[in-house]
Amino acid sequence: MPAPASPVPLAVERLTIDYGQRRAVNGLSLEVRPSEIYGLLGSNGAGKSSTIKSIVGLVRPTSGSVRVFGDDAVGDGLRAKEQLGYVPETALLYEALTPREFLEFVAGVRRLDRAVASERLQTYAAAFQLDAELEEPIATLSNGTRQKVLVIGALLHAPRLLVLDEPLNSLDPRSVRIVKELLLRFVRSGGRGVLLSTHTMEIAEELCTRVGILDRGVLLAEGTLAELRTRAARGDASLEEVFLRLTRQDEGLTEAVASLDGS
Amino acid sequence: MGWREAARLADVAFLEVALQATYAFRQGNPVPPAEGRRMVARAQRRVAQSKALIAGLLGFLVLGAAVLLRAPPAVRAQLVPIAIPLGLFQTGILTGVFGLEVALLWWTGLQALPTFLGSSAVSVLEPLPIDPRTLRRAAAIVYLRLFDLPALVVLVGTPVFVGLALGPLAGLASVPASASAVVFALALSLVTGRFFVRRVQGARGGGGGAVVRWAYLLLWLLPAFGLLAFVTASPAFFRVLAVLAGPHLSRPAELLAAVYPFAVAVLPVAVAGGSGSLGVPSAVILVAFLWTAVYAGVAVYAAVWLYGSVAEVGKLPPAVATPGVASRSELRPQRPPWAVLTKDLRLASRTPGYAFLILLPLLDAVALGLVTFAGAPGSAAARGVAIGAVSAAALLATFFGPAFFALEVVAQSYARTLPVTPRSMALGKVSLIGAIYLAAGGIVLAITALRVPAPGLFALFIAAELPAVVAAGLLELALLFRWARARGLPVTNLYAGAWNIVLVSLPGVALATAPIAAFVEVGVGGMAVVALAELAVMAPLALGRGTT
Repeated sequence: MPAPASPVPLAVERLTIDYGQRRAVNGLSLEVRPSEIYGLLGSNGAGKSSTIKSIVGLVRPTSGSVRVFGDDAVGDGLRAKEQLGYVPETALLYEALTPREFLEFVAGVRRLDRAVASERLQTYAAAFQLDAELEEPIATLSNGTRQKVLVIGALLHAPRLLVLDEPLNSLDPRSVRIVKELLLRFVRSGGRGVLLSTHTMEIAEELCTRVGILDRGVLLAEGTLAELRTRAARGDASLEEVFLRLTRQDEGLTEAVASLDGS
Repeated sequence: MGWREAARLADVAFLEVALQATYAFRQGNPVPPAEGRRMVARAQRRVAQSKALIAGLLGFLVLGAAVLLRAPPAVRAQLVPIAIPLGLFQTGILTGVFGLEVALLWWTGLQALPTFLGSSAVSVLEPLPIDPRTLRRAAAIVYLRLFDLPALVVLVGTPVFVGLALGPLAGLASVPASASAVVFALALSLVTGRFFVRRVQGARGGGGGAVVRWAYLLLWLLPAFGLLAFVTASPAFFRVLAVLAGPHLSRPAELLAAVYPFAVAVLPVAVAGGSGSLGVPSAVILVAFLWTAVYAGVAVYAAVWLYGSVAEVGKLPPAVATPGVASRSELRPQRPPWAVLTKDLRLASRTPGYAFLILLPLLDAVALGLVTFAGAPGSAAARGVAIGAVSAAALLATFFGPAFFALEVVAQSYARTLPVTPRSMALGKVSLIGAIYLAAGGIVLAITALRVPAPGLFALFIAAELPAVVAAGLLELALLFRWARARGLPVTNLYAGAWNIVLVSLPGVALATAPIAAFVEVGVGGMAVVALAELAVMAPLALGRGTT
């Protein structure tokens, strides 16, 4: 793989995505720095998934740019795609294939060496206890098992940038622990980066170096947890409280909860 | 809650089927940049277009049959190689019509059922407080709506055209046959769908598993192929019919009259011209009538079974994995085009609709190859049939480009995040198209080696057509990739995208036909020149940097 044109794993600049008349993302700029896990937080419909889909080449942005280690991800994005691994929110896989057949396809398209690909599969399959299900059609597997297949598919080629959309949603506690450990180890060397979208504040708090809060397609705030606390004027608050405050979702929250009493 | 409530629920559920058939959101396909209402309208329009296309095809078939039923003796003599009574000829035509109606409706079902099951349209209704009877009715209505327009053409169009050709009473007498054709096709589709979910979709991987899956698919699709082969091999079919009118009719031959759909085709002809018009012994007519009653009874039973089973099949969960057997945790990656080809074959081996397409030219080649045995060895007629068989395989191959592109709908959004170039994708798919064509040609060559004069020349014919088949596939795939990129949506499955597939296939058919026309005019040398010229033009257009 040629030397990266830029040491910055991911640079998103003035990204705008429209669906017909509806603007899902509005002029978003963010950067995932080397050795950083960047958490993208937002309510439902805030534009997280649209942003991620434009980064991995699934949605063509209306305007703006996305660069992975300096390579354009918006055009054909082939060089960008070679460097990133993607775990989607829903387990979108070729259901008629088995995990081994699916990963063989991924390894083939990514031009991986047979020995290297096999060794990585053995390592990850053992870690996720997936060995016994490698020959079962994906259609027959549980959501959690499918998610494990996606995580392995994203890691198989040892990418330099990981883009994860709610990656821990369906996983069992053991697998959650393994994925967290994998992510922390992933960014420790080689100037690699992770973009992690999640609803779960505890996970963001535990894993993320910096966090960006997206609301109605606009980046409201960005920084370390300490910086966000300062900005929200909540010295010892949890990330959840900071998030609710910055997105103004704490307004009327007490009343909304109280109104549930009679239900 | 009655039928009205069931119809209202079915409206919602069918909309979901149409939406999933068109946009495949449940496979994770991203939402295209369009208004929600427009997407819904487009999904409804595309499914309606596809149904109209199949209905049109069926209408054309019935109209053509009506014309043939009234064909003058000179035309009949051209169609049928031997002299047979008019009534028997008409029964043969109606047999072909009913057989093809079943085959086409069943084929529609094969395309629609994976979407019907995958959309979970019925499962979504189950947790709601709806009584089981209404749910069953709603599921039955949704299932009927998968076929509504084509089924209507069979149910109404067939009796009307038979009535116009043979008289109103004959038209009325064809109602049991057309109704049973619809019921059998719908039941076969459901049985196939259930079988697909239980045995094929859930079958384990590995080399042995793939062989078993293809064998299952072959077994279950064989009747549909048999019907198609029966039409393509119509001269041989009429020779078999002639046995019934022959002077030395044996007991086993009498049983031919019991075979579906011949048995149900006898009644309209007998009503129109009297049983004497068929020129067969009364025992044959009796056997046919008896079996018509049996088939009508089976159709009623099948209809009742359908009504009760659709809801269960619609709610059927995917097969459950049975882990515990040691798996091979070794990967054997291939170069990108081969990886695409292997993946497509593996997907097709668990997807009846696509398996049908791959197996179609191969079995058609077998059927037509066997037809050459009807003539004398080394006859020009045998070569004509053999060349016809290879030409049919070449033309059928032009539908593979869109079909294999449609495979990408399944998880296409994941594939689009991989660094696979459209060039690799096109090369993989076009290699598969070429391989299927060559396999079909090889089958015909192997069967007819001793029947066809100058088999070497015939082998050259097969080889000369190959570049044109590849050029057609490349052109179609290039058009589809551009289209998908421009519109940002998949071409979807064959059920929702039939019209688009036909549109894209037309230039492909032109490319595949031109060398065959050149062969007729100037021989195999000219054919090779035309085919190579087509490939020389199409390859850079389709595979050049930035073109796909």
